[in-house]
Amino acid sequence: MTNILIVLVALLVVATLVQLLRVGELLSEVKNQDLNKVTEKDNKNQSIIMALAGVLFLVSCVWQYMSWNHLMLPSASSEHGVAIDNLMAFTMILIIVVFFILHLILFFFTYKYRKAADNDVAFFYSHNNKLEYIWTIVPTIVLTAVILYGLNTWNQITNADTSDSAIIEVYAKQFNWAARYPGEDNTLGPHNYKLVQGTNALGVNMEDETSLDDKVTREVHLVVGKPVLLRFRSQDVIHSAYLPHFRVQMNCVPGMNTQFAFTPTQTTSEMKDQEGEDFEFVLLCNKICGVAHYNMQMKFVVETQEEYDTWLSGQKTLSEKLLTQN
Amino acid sequence: MSDHHKETFITKYIFSIDHKMIAKQFLITGMLMGILGMLMSILFRIQLSNPGESFAVLEWFLGEKWAPGGILDPNMYLSLVTMHGTILVFWVLTAGLSGTFANFLIPLQIGARDMASGFINMLSYWFFFAATIVLLVSLFVETGPASAGWTIYPPLSALPQAIPGSGLGQDLWLVAMTLFIVSSLLGGLNYIVTILNLRTKGMSMSKLPLTIWAILITAILGVLSFPVLLSASLLLIFDRSFGTSFYLSDIVIGGEALHHTGGSPILFEHLFWFLGHPEVYIILLPALGIVSEVMSVNSRKPIFGYKAMVGAMLVIAFLSFIVWGHHMFITGMDPFLGSVFTFTTLLIAIPSAVKVFNYLATLWKASIRFTPAMLFAIGFVSTFITGGLTGLILGDSALDINIHDTYFVVGHFHIVMGLSAIYGMFAGVYHWFPKMYGRMMNKKLGYLHFWVTFICAYGVFFPMHFLGLAGLPRRYYTNSAFPMFDGLSDINEIITFFAVIGGLVQLFFVFNFFYSIFKGTKATENPWGSNTLEWTTPIERIHGNWPGEIPSVHRWPYDYSKPGAEKDFIPQTEPLKEGEIEH
Amino acid sequence: MNNTLKSNTSKQLLWIAMAGISMFFAGLTSAVIVRSAEHGWDTIVMPEWFWYSTVAIVLSSIILIIAKKQVRKGISPTPYLVSALILGLLFSYFQVMGWNQLTAEGKYFVGPGSNPASSFLYVITFAHLMHVLGGIISLLVTTIKSVQVKYTKENYLGIELTSIYWHFLDVLWVYLFIFLLVI
Repeated sequence: MTNILIVLVALLVVATLVQLLRVGELLSEVKNQDLNKVTEKDNKNQSIIMALAGVLFLVSCVWQYMSWNHLMLPSASSEHGVAIDNLMAFTMILIIVVFFILHLILFFFTYKYRKAADNDVAFFYSHNNKLEYIWTIVPTIVLTAVILYGLNTWNQITNADTSDSAIIEVYAKQFNWAARYPGEDNTLGPHNYKLVQGTNALGVNMEDETSLDDKVTREVHLVVGKPVLLRFRSQDVIHSAYLPHFRVQMNCVPGMNTQFAFTPTQTTSEMKDQEGEDFEFVLLCNKICGVAHYNMQMKFVVETQEEYDTWLSGQKTLSEKLLTQN
Repeated sequence: MSDHHKETFITKYIFSIDHKMIAKQFLITGMLMGILGMLMSILFRIQLSNPGESFAVLEWFLGEKWAPGGILDPNMYLSLVTMHGTILVFWVLTAGLSGTFANFLIPLQIGARDMASGFINMLSYWFFFAATIVLLVSLFVETGPASAGWTIYPPLSALPQAIPGSGLGQDLWLVAMTLFIVSSLLGGLNYIVTILNLRTKGMSMSKLPLTIWAILITAILGVLSFPVLLSASLLLIFDRSFGTSFYLSDIVIGGEALHHTGGSPILFEHLFWFLGHPEVYIILLPALGIVSEVMSVNSRKPIFGYKAMVGAMLVIAFLSFIVWGHHMFITGMDPFLGSVFTFTTLLIAIPSAVKVFNYLATLWKASIRFTPAMLFAIGFVSTFITGGLTGLILGDSALDINIHDTYFVVGHFHIVMGLSAIYGMFAGVYHWFPKMYGRMMNKKLGYLHFWVTFICAYGVFFPMHFLGLAGLPRRYYTNSAFPMFDGLSDINEIITFFAVIGGLVQLFFVFNFFYSIFKGTKATENPWGSNTLEWTTPIERIHGNWPGEIPSVHRWPYDYSKPGAEKDFIPQTEPLKEGEIEH
Repeated sequence: MNNTLKSNTSKQLLWIAMAGISMFFAGLTSAVIVRSAEHGWDTIVMPEWFWYSTVAIVLSSIILIIAKKQVRKGISPTPYLVSALILGLLFSYFQVMGWNQLTAEGKYFVGPGSNPASSFLYVITFAHLMHVLGGIISLLVTTIKSVQVKYTKENYLGIELTSIYWHFLDVLWVYLFIFLLVI
């Protein structure tokens, strides 16, 4: 019943529009005007609307920034993150300046050069090679600077010295995360996907002695100021480990090992003071992975060495969990 | 001379080999699919801004299975997002944009009777039609349409156990895409050969309208890149249906360890993006060509820097083959490769900037006539500037780390494709409608369409940059699972608000289009005072385009407001006067 | 459209189509190159039958060249077209025999006996054979037309087009064969 009504309403709307257009056509006939001819009056009106819309648009961009700036991520909580934020600020300022200048030119030209009167004639000017050189070379120089700055930052991040890094494995699967600490021997035990079963959710090879002291946890704790190397694995599909506060992101690909090195610079409690009691560092999944992609999270905690030691000693080793009855 | 074969309804409207009819077939199929794709986005936007709330309209469109109690099912959310992307990128912006304007304009603007092979051209449309049917059928399968994103990365797209849409829905998607790629290639063959061989007397390459240059370059891009997507899809089909391990390795899913070893999902990404990146230029270049034409005619001025515009398009096309890795910065690929791709990606900004400057120079000291087409051309320049600039941020590998796959990317690509390229398409439709149908579209509805679209579109996509900088990932069914995103719900509501209005106003365009076909005011032969050859054909449109001899060409297409001329335009067919300098 | 123009445009259409097909195989062969650089790559020993099929297809191309020479002299090319067609069918038969030989040696397309190298070998040779089937159909049509004496020494466009495509399949096979030998 409702469906029939909806169809009828739609038909009515179309019929009304048709009638409105017919009225417009008849009026034009009466006035002996061409209904669809673009007149100088149209040009004047449209150019004014364009100028207004342009200004409104630019103002709205500023308004959006001012209203929503406080919602942006807080400044980076990692060493390389600061470098990224600086590069971002530099590039953003550059593009914002260009954005405003080009748009002002665009809206100014469309207003000024409208054909509003008979003698508004265009100036026949087909090309200027010198101009082409200038506006090719200047962007090239600017972009070279951007490229060099960007590549330098990228190099810093991807060639970080990981010789002293604490290694932690982060394991992704539909639809949660787990972490594995290497234990006293500082070596993560080998793994094989065929061993994934029941409580051995990460497929760790328990026959190898380096696996015995590994600890699998549901949270990641890090020591502030100490470099860490996250090693990623996935059980099923591509996931992406996204830690926005640390400016860290890396795909977790089944069949591959990926990694990302960084050093956290702020503790969770410092961040709670800054951002509010509810703040937590969090790991999100950032590559479409299935129905619950939107709810794959794991808490990260950054703390002092003592707090970390206390926490870690309270976690069970794999040999305790998997090889003994409890 | 025009063909004298007897025409039936079937040969005139259905299995036509006339390029003008084939163009319209592409246009209307593209438009209808566009309505479907837009509808999908409105449905999932409603879910995003009001998660967990019940909306009767969701159940009305999707049925009880996929929107029980008016709440969108999370699997269907991912399906809608996937199909929206697929339909808009391929069906609307590739087939709808290239298929329409390449087919319509090439013979008319170069002075040819029809394409080199009308038969291959007709096949090109019917393969597209077949692809459309298969894709539409996939919407109704029990396990749902494909849902691994329009980028269909394996293993998610290879394993039905990973997500229901990767069952039959994904199979049909792959079949539809195979048919689509064949359609695209058949079309491209014709475009290239026709432009190179069937130009009329005097139409040298340097006298070609920029639209034709753009379409030629686009077709070459397509021939070289679409087949690679075909190879990527073929290997995926084998992994899905025959148990090979091209992309799959070390997988445990649904409690079962799969037998696949030795495959690499990243291989798929490389093959996919090798097409995927040129694809966005396949979308953009025709729009650039159309805007050059529309802007010049409505500024009554030559397009500034013809040679530079052609050169810039060639450089963009060349570079587009070596930037694909910027979609893969955080896949764990060798950091050195990442540097290479950052370098080439940022380089592509240069010819793009050159084109923008040339557009602005065209507007300088112009005599602008604000037709709806011209408004969209101006809108194109604005959105190309905005979207292009944010591309600089995304192309920088270090910056991409924190904004990859967030709403920052969604904002960027929608502004360049969903806005710029679509504006180019709208400009083309408004501008060439009189030549397609012999009637004018309604001007006032055109103004209404442009202004509401322009405002709403920016209202939808500009705020997304802020969402991205706040760390909000894309393809999330809801943002309410993470307290850190609670403050973003206002922005989401604003976006949905503009999306609904912007989506609805497109219906006015559709109405205007179909109404004007039948009831629009009759057009004159050359309503815009344009120089190009298509405006010398009779209003009623005939096979073979010109009733007598095909006109010869004596000058380039951009003699507008040339000093010493009687009128403010000189058609290409006018011989040069004694002592007249070319330009 | 006059004959020269038709000839030029048909040939260009074919060349561009072949460029597209080449890109398809470029995609597949790059996939092989990328994969072969990683661990777990078994070099494939080329089955003997593929050597025979290589000879068959090269021979068939040579015979097509002779066929074209004949028709230019005004002599019927039918016997040569038929020979090329038979060699083309032999090529297809040898390819299938090659696959049989591979499975007999325990190198499967999928399943426990397979590995990335063997899977790729099957996919690439299968894809090529599919394109050869198109060539065989074209050659069949050309042969039939030749029997019906449709070609003259002024107009033998069909033979030209079939030959160009056939030579392409030949060169493509030789490239793929050598590629698979060395990878």
